[in-house]
Amino acid sequence: MASIKQLEQQLKKLSLELSKHEIEFHQARQYLQSILENSDDMIFATDVDGTLLSLSKGGERVLGYRSEEITGSFIKQFAVNPQEFEKLIRKFQDEGSPVRFELPFRHKDGHTVYCDVSLISLTNTNGQNMGVVGICRDMTSWKQLQEHLIRVDRLAEIGRIAAGIVHEINNPLAVISEIAGWTKVMVEDAKRLSKKAKKELTKSVNDIMEQTRRCRAVTHQLLGFSRDSAPEKTDVNLDELIRQTITFLQPELKYKDVEIVYNFETTPIHVSTDQKMLEQVLVNLVTNAIHAITDKPDGKGRIEFQIKEGDGHVEVAISDNGPGIKEEDREKIFNLFFTTKPSGIGTGLGLPICQNIMKKLGGEITFETEVGIGTTFRILIPSE
Amino acid sequence: MSDKPDIRVLLIDDEQTLLEYLSKRLLREGFTVKATFSGEEAIEAASNDNYDVAVVDLKMPGIDGVETQKRLKKIQPFLQCIVLTGHGSIESALKSGQQDAFKYLLKPIDYEDLVEAIKEAYKKKVEFVNQKFKEQVEEIYRSGLGAKGIKKAIRELRKLYGID
Repeated sequence: MASIKQLEQQLKKLSLELSKHEIEFHQARQYLQSILENSDDMIFATDVDGTLLSLSKGGERVLGYRSEEITGSFIKQFAVNPQEFEKLIRKFQDEGSPVRFELPFRHKDGHTVYCDVSLISLTNTNGQNMGVVGICRDMTSWKQLQEHLIRVDRLAEIGRIAAGIVHEINNPLAVISEIAGWTKVMVEDAKRLSKKAKKELTKSVNDIMEQTRRCRAVTHQLLGFSRDSAPEKTDVNLDELIRQTITFLQPELKYKDVEIVYNFETTPIHVSTDQKMLEQVLVNLVTNAIHAITDKPDGKGRIEFQIKEGDGHVEVAISDNGPGIKEEDREKIFNLFFTTKPSGIGTGLGLPICQNIMKKLGGEITFETEVGIGTTFRILIPSE
Repeated sequence: MSDKPDIRVLLIDDEQTLLEYLSKRLLREGFTVKATFSGEEAIEAASNDNYDVAVVDLKMPGIDGVETQKRLKKIQPFLQCIVLTGHGSIESALKSGQQDAFKYLLKPIDYEDLVEAIKEAYKKKVEFVNQKFKEQVEEIYRSGLGAKGIKKAIRELRKLYGID
């Protein structure tokens, strides 16, 4: 029989070993904890049913929830497509070997987070399946870059198509314009026409010429998309440019009840910039404003212009009293091919091109909008 | 149109209807106009008659505007060329720049701009010809030819310069 002393010694030895294990356990736990707290990746653990047991700090960032808010709920419900996620987890559990796949999750505020997901089995000491650990890397910015590249590619394609179409249209346009010019001088030369007839014919021919000029302006604008030329700076009278833009868009305004307000300083403001590029920005913005007030079910449409000189820049504000931009559309309006206009009318090119041009001019474009009140677009043009 | 010099214009464009009306208008203003619808046709015309200004479309089937301009210059070194270009052909426009185009006009052209360009081109041609002619005549005199030789040389020179 062992003496008490021996027993005491054994107990001492055991407790020593135990404390050693405790330290090891503590260290391992700390190691794990620091990974869970510091990794940017979303790391989660679930039981066999897919109920969330723990969520790392990175996971809180990816999904937008605090861990304690959502532990106990099913992990699949945070995927954009829960059924698909469940299928992938089940497949993984059946096969047993680690898997990797790409899966979009839904952030608390609604935006999509694209993740590269790895799943690992969680087993107990008996090798029994206890659940799943997932490590998810946020790939959203990478995905956005990819999408951006695709968009740039599509824009280049549109540019090529536009250039081709414009060339084909320009030729007959030139012919029409020449014939009109010839007709005009023929009318001038004609001896037996009455004064009234001459006047009427001359006006008609002038109208044809005016319309071909309008077409030409459009084709030139279209070509702005495909051309990547550097800005040519000249002295631009902004007051005059804005009035010209309205004149140019007069046909769009003709049948609408629209009030145009110019809030200009008494002396016109000049800025050194590329007139053609700026004109394109204005035409696009005013066209949008016209569309906005056309959708207005009640009352009179109003488009207001304001020019302000700031520190190192000139600001042009174009305001409409249209319906405003819906909240869910706001972050998308500068996206290529995004449009709220009916197909055939909106191309989704206008605003991205404005943004592109303003970047080229060294300026910027911003907007403020309120549903039911209207929208203001501001362009800042650097003034040296 | 006595206030205007008789400017001989060679038009080259495969767009026949355009040239038809353009020619009519230019003729009415007192220009002498020859309309040709291809580079080949223009080169043939330039081998037969003298012109002051050529208006060349850049994009044509057969030999294109750049090549046409090059060959025209070989036949008539003083001919001034106005090049008509569509957008998107800036590269070829620059290439034709190496062939000393007097001016580029963007299609569709504005008639008034074209008339203005033709007059300017003519002015440049006249200056250029006068200067060269003077230089060469002086050279002939310096060469020590006899009276008969000088007369013959000048006659040839006049022919070369298209001075009738």
